[in-house]
Amino acid sequence: MSTLLDQQGRAAEVLRRFSRTTAAMLLLVVVAGSVALEVASSGSFLEGPSVRVFLQYLATPILIGLAQMVALCVGQLNLAVGALGGFTACLTGVLMADHGVPAVIAVLVGLLTATAVGLVTGIVIVATQINGFIVTLATMTILLGAQYRLVGTRTVDGYSPTLRDLGTAAPLDTPLVFVTAIVAAGLLGAFMYRTVAGRRLLAAGGNPLAARLSGISTDRQIVLAHTLSGLLVGVAAVTATASLPGVNHSVGGDWLLPSFAAPIIGGVALTGGSIAVFGTVLAAFVTRLIDAARAQFSLDPSWVNLLIGLVVLGTVAGGHLHQTRLAKSASSEASPQPEGAR
Amino acid sequence: MTTSVSPPETVPAQERTAGHRMPFWVNQRLGLLVLVIALSMLFGVLRPAFLDQRLVLFPLLRDVATLTVVALAQMVALSVGHMNLAVGRMAAFGAMFAGIGYDRLHLPMQAGLLLCLAAGAAIGAVTGWLIARTGVSSFVVTLAMDFALLGLVSLMYSGLTEDAAFTTRPAGIDALRSYSLADICVGPLCGSPAVPQLAQFTVFAMLGLGFLYGCTRIGRELLLTGAIPAAAELSGIPTGRRVLLAHTLSGLLAALAGFMAAAGTGTFRASIGDDFMLPSFLGAVLGGTLLTGGVVSVLGTLLGTALVGVIRKGLDLLGVGLESLNIYLGCILLLALSADRIRTVVSYRKVVRST
Repeated sequence: MSTLLDQQGRAAEVLRRFSRTTAAMLLLVVVAGSVALEVASSGSFLEGPSVRVFLQYLATPILIGLAQMVALCVGQLNLAVGALGGFTACLTGVLMADHGVPAVIAVLVGLLTATAVGLVTGIVIVATQINGFIVTLATMTILLGAQYRLVGTRTVDGYSPTLRDLGTAAPLDTPLVFVTAIVAAGLLGAFMYRTVAGRRLLAAGGNPLAARLSGISTDRQIVLAHTLSGLLVGVAAVTATASLPGVNHSVGGDWLLPSFAAPIIGGVALTGGSIAVFGTVLAAFVTRLIDAARAQFSLDPSWVNLLIGLVVLGTVAGGHLHQTRLAKSASSEASPQPEGAR
Repeated sequence: MTTSVSPPETVPAQERTAGHRMPFWVNQRLGLLVLVIALSMLFGVLRPAFLDQRLVLFPLLRDVATLTVVALAQMVALSVGHMNLAVGRMAAFGAMFAGIGYDRLHLPMQAGLLLCLAAGAAIGAVTGWLIARTGVSSFVVTLAMDFALLGLVSLMYSGLTEDAAFTTRPAGIDALRSYSLADICVGPLCGSPAVPQLAQFTVFAMLGLGFLYGCTRIGRELLLTGAIPAAAELSGIPTGRRVLLAHTLSGLLAALAGFMAAAGTGTFRASIGDDFMLPSFLGAVLGGTLLTGGVVSVLGTLLGTALVGVIRKGLDLLGVGLESLNIYLGCILLLALSADRIRTVVSYRKVVRST
């Protein structure tokens, strides 16, 4: 009997701890937002086709958010997310449409290229000791040029129907590209939380000096993080190629800001050492909800940018308020009554 | 015009600012100047049209003048160890106010410019206040500000105008766009037709910043805040207020650049400043400003921007397509910084060996 009570107590404790996290707040926002949209659209928002479209365009924000998160977790930035994604998408598209390469090989080449670019970026950062911000700014510029040279002003759309079908396939109204994104998030979470290599990444980001002293090569972690980031961008590019009607030079142009918004809203520290896979996925949900609401009320697309900017600023200010309140309650409380005070 | 506050035991990258201990060829600004002149001559030989004063050099210098102010805006933020990712959007925000002033309030040109600068300074101050108050990385705050302004500016343009641009031109703005020093004559002597009058703003901004960082206590305090915030705080510098000041100045300069860009193209539209972010970092960083804060170079910023401008224009004239320009620019940025790093390390070793 006592064990049952214990279990209940433990479950309640876990639940209570969860209820204070960013993820719980985001979950609340997602649910509330969905309900509000459902009411506003008088019931059509949660119907099959509309859910499918919603999830279809959620895959890319999730994946680029995760790609940025991996770079952030070792204290680096990846400004080249959008440019690399656009370049990879165009490369895959051009290979299939102009050179008749089979879809499987083209996708593999795309993934490998993105990973290789990430690897090279990491190596350049480590070898030259130049700030990662500047290096990825330079790779971003180079990749933008390369993307433009690849496709110019045309739109490549005559590529493999198999890939197109896979991109739009949605058994049970759950698009395959969305499933891909969720699987990628799950694998990344398992890698980060369960494997030694993932722990090393986080250790190197959290405190580079301590990590080095305990025998972890921070240089290798930086290279690994950029490689992983490149791979995730590659996956994002493939899902974009599969689900978009065609690829042109504007693919990836608007990825940079959302890629930062998702991890930051999701609760990842820019200083490194922390990740939040679930939070990032939920934050991508929130930004997608804003977009859906915009479409629902047929507002100017600029509203999305304005709102996302305000949400991030609000998150930042809110986090600060929370911190100061915690600090205040910690300093004023000599007597141990932590639960009641908050 | 390089000013620095470098802690004695920091990385060798800051050693070069010690000047007298380094051989002269480590001086980055000299190298940049030589490179700019050499490249201009090379392009001039390959394509004589490059040296055409009215058709090539005039627009080139007008672009360089505008982008230098953008890079200076970035440099001011970098001087306290921060970044301003919203330079382009702050420029658009400032220019929008100037446009509203001319279109709705029928202000004269100078009053519109003042309104523009005030708007830029205000939005910069809000950003700086948020950063100083919350202690959150400037990267996040300015990125979010970029989002918010991107939305706000295009919303206001589509709300206030029919074709998303203010086309009312106050008296004098056309002169500002097309007049060069050739239109100013002292007796029989006239200036060069290659130098645009728009460059006067750049000169003012450079002189002002050079004075601020070189001769005033506040400038030194800004640099110290950037170099080691903790030490600055301990030595009684109000670091929060200095961060606020730096971002206000950054916003003001960005708005000035927005006004110059709008005067250069003739219309006030939302797309002003879209392509400011990359040049702002290129100019400042190539010029020797450190991303970590504490070291700035006003003259270097001008030279860095000029180098990028010359390369861009030269490659354009040589028939390298627009699409490939970006590839070369990215490579040049990486090469220049790697070369700089190698040079610093080599000269540092030499100095160490000789002592």
